[in-house]
Amino acid sequence: MDLKDWTLVLCVCTALSGNTLAAERTGNTTSERLVSATDEPHNWLHHHNTYDAQRYSRLDEINRGNVADLKVAWTYALGGTEGGGIWPIAGLEGTPLVEDGFMYAIDGWGVVTKIDVHGGRAKFVWRMDPATDKDWAGEIACCGIDNKGPALWGGLVLSHTLDGRLIATDKASGDIKWEAEVASPEIGETITAAPLIVKDMAITGVSGAEFGIRGWLEATDLNTGKRRWRRYTIPAPDEPGGDTWVDTHEAYKTGGGSTWVTGSYDAELDLIYWGVGNPGPDWDREYRPGDNLYSNSAIALDPASGEIKFHFQYTPNDPFDYDGVNELVLIDSEVDNVPRKMILHADRNGFLYAIDRTNGAFVYATPFVKRLNWTAGIDAQTGKPVDYDPEAKIQHYAGVAPSRAKPQSELMCPGAMGGKNWIPMAYHPGLGRLYIPVIESCGKISTSPVEEGGTNIPREWFTAGGITNPEVITGSLTVVDVKQGKVVHKLETRYPLLGGLLATAGNLVFSAMPDGDVIAYDAQTLQELWRFPTGSGIIAPVMSYAVDGKQFITVAVGFGGTMPKWWIDAVPGLENTNPSAMIFTFAL
Amino acid sequence: MQLFLATLFRAAIASVIFALGLSGSAFAVEKVRSAGKAVYKKANCVGCHKWHGGGGGGYGGMALSLRETPLDTAGLTMVIRCGRPGTRMPYHQRGVYGDDERHCYDTSAEELEGAMPPRAHYFLKDRDIAAVVEYVQTWIQGRGTPGYDDCVAFWGADARRCKSMAPTRPDNE
Repeated sequence: MDLKDWTLVLCVCTALSGNTLAAERTGNTTSERLVSATDEPHNWLHHHNTYDAQRYSRLDEINRGNVADLKVAWTYALGGTEGGGIWPIAGLEGTPLVEDGFMYAIDGWGVVTKIDVHGGRAKFVWRMDPATDKDWAGEIACCGIDNKGPALWGGLVLSHTLDGRLIATDKASGDIKWEAEVASPEIGETITAAPLIVKDMAITGVSGAEFGIRGWLEATDLNTGKRRWRRYTIPAPDEPGGDTWVDTHEAYKTGGGSTWVTGSYDAELDLIYWGVGNPGPDWDREYRPGDNLYSNSAIALDPASGEIKFHFQYTPNDPFDYDGVNELVLIDSEVDNVPRKMILHADRNGFLYAIDRTNGAFVYATPFVKRLNWTAGIDAQTGKPVDYDPEAKIQHYAGVAPSRAKPQSELMCPGAMGGKNWIPMAYHPGLGRLYIPVIESCGKISTSPVEEGGTNIPREWFTAGGITNPEVITGSLTVVDVKQGKVVHKLETRYPLLGGLLATAGNLVFSAMPDGDVIAYDAQTLQELWRFPTGSGIIAPVMSYAVDGKQFITVAVGFGGTMPKWWIDAVPGLENTNPSAMIFTFAL
Repeated sequence: MQLFLATLFRAAIASVIFALGLSGSAFAVEKVRSAGKAVYKKANCVGCHKWHGGGGGGYGGMALSLRETPLDTAGLTMVIRCGRPGTRMPYHQRGVYGDDERHCYDTSAEELEGAMPPRAHYFLKDRDIAAVVEYVQTWIQGRGTPGYDDCVAFWGADARRCKSMAPTRPDNE
């Protein structure tokens, strides 16, 4: 061979060995690994840990017997508390991912940091700053400078930015490989959710129902960075469900239906499940007569086309902003001794729903809040509120909602924050118990009707009303026996639960509070076994991982989100909580 | 020669002082606007009244238009200190409803009951309230429809959100 041939051989060999080394160093997150994530309990490969969103860790080194000895292993300052738009500060809502000893954490502005967590320490590897346009996005963020987390696929880290982009970062180098503009802040759209990876696609959910958007889900091809499909959650008149918008001024175009909590996936059924949010405008339902599908619904989509195969709607013609986005936890269990494949969903409206995930059939519903007065109950057959009138275009339910004729509501329970908000619950499959982070609240809302002939101006608020908080908002850790469909335990707390729960095989439930405390409870008795004060406020979920056989508990600490701006007068004691941007990790 | 140089020197000093005095005023104006604007952002006025002060809807409800309000200095100061009973406009002065002195609208928390305004997240000192009142009066009140200049003054010349408001240039310029 001449020199040219040798050069070619050398180059090819180097490239091959380089790639192999890179794969070993960084881990290749194949679709197979993502489907079988439960086989890697030491890793946390998905936003919700596993496709079923159970947030259950199979690690048991830390357990009821020893958790009292849990101590801080390391902390890490992520940075990123600066504000933008109408928000003076940013907080941390993200769930970090861990793969093979490397953690991927994200701040509110979408900066991803890769941290080497081998050896029980945290060592910086790289940081990817997507240069989010802070004022551009921050002006139209209803509820804080939030980013719920990254995702992993192949050799890429996927993440969103508040200003509407999907970023693909090289896992080894931290270089941005490509980015796609998915959402349009020009028309009031932002993104706060973590992507869901399904096969070779990233699924993106959008925020902005308070700004008159028309909601959607979008699938991006991860090989090319191009759109595969977009599915609007608010149908046009000629689309399925379009006949549930019976107005004559195209209210569907500003109909809301955001998709701002990451969905779930059943690989066997090959169905994506996603929660759809409130219709817009939030508090003038007379502007949008009809049931307003698919607002406040769980939808099941075909991954190939995004077609909506079936749905279940909780609160038709929503008067309250009982946003239906909350996560959809997939469980295989039994009800009345019959095996059921179910979705569990704790709704903003105060009811826990069990839905058959093969066909959308209603299984059961039970209230999980202390006080509930917006409806007299849920019909055991239809799953709809008993005071829902299928013939009516405007729903009144139990009569506490405001209207154009009577713009001030009665005291409504739960209040508009819920119930439960996006804060994820956790399921313990061995115990058959669901742990719900509850916001115990009642509140008031008022209607300021959309003008005759009026519509939304892009990037302007389109809520047609507002909230007031006449009462203190408290919280509880509420436990449901999923076979019975009943609350079996409620541990009341001073503050609403705004972090996110983790259940573990060590028979523990971890919670994190807005006053900064991280807490471990006995999963069976809810006895408090351990508590640590982090000194800021926590609005992010607790997660767990292991490296070289040692288990760690991690949570992002950084007060922010919607609470300090719209709800702070209802939680006296939290007004002096300062921002922070730390990762706290605990171990034995 | 010495006298000439001394006169020249004094004139030079005088002109420097004169120049400093002029830029000092401009600087003082800018400083007040910055202080007032900082309060406007930090105290979340921007969240409900919007960057342009025109108010409107949002999570906090229908906020007053500060561009159209006829409130004078005393009125604006009272509303910021005491909030507006029956609305979501918070009270921003610590303890203002706390004692028997009926500082606010000649009423008390007890009398207001359910109409009591919410407490603000950040309490404001007198000088903060004065700064934001002056900011509203100088840059917002009575200013008609917000335009490109208002946008740039608030968000900065590079701000993307102002580009759609930028005046278009006629072709012959």
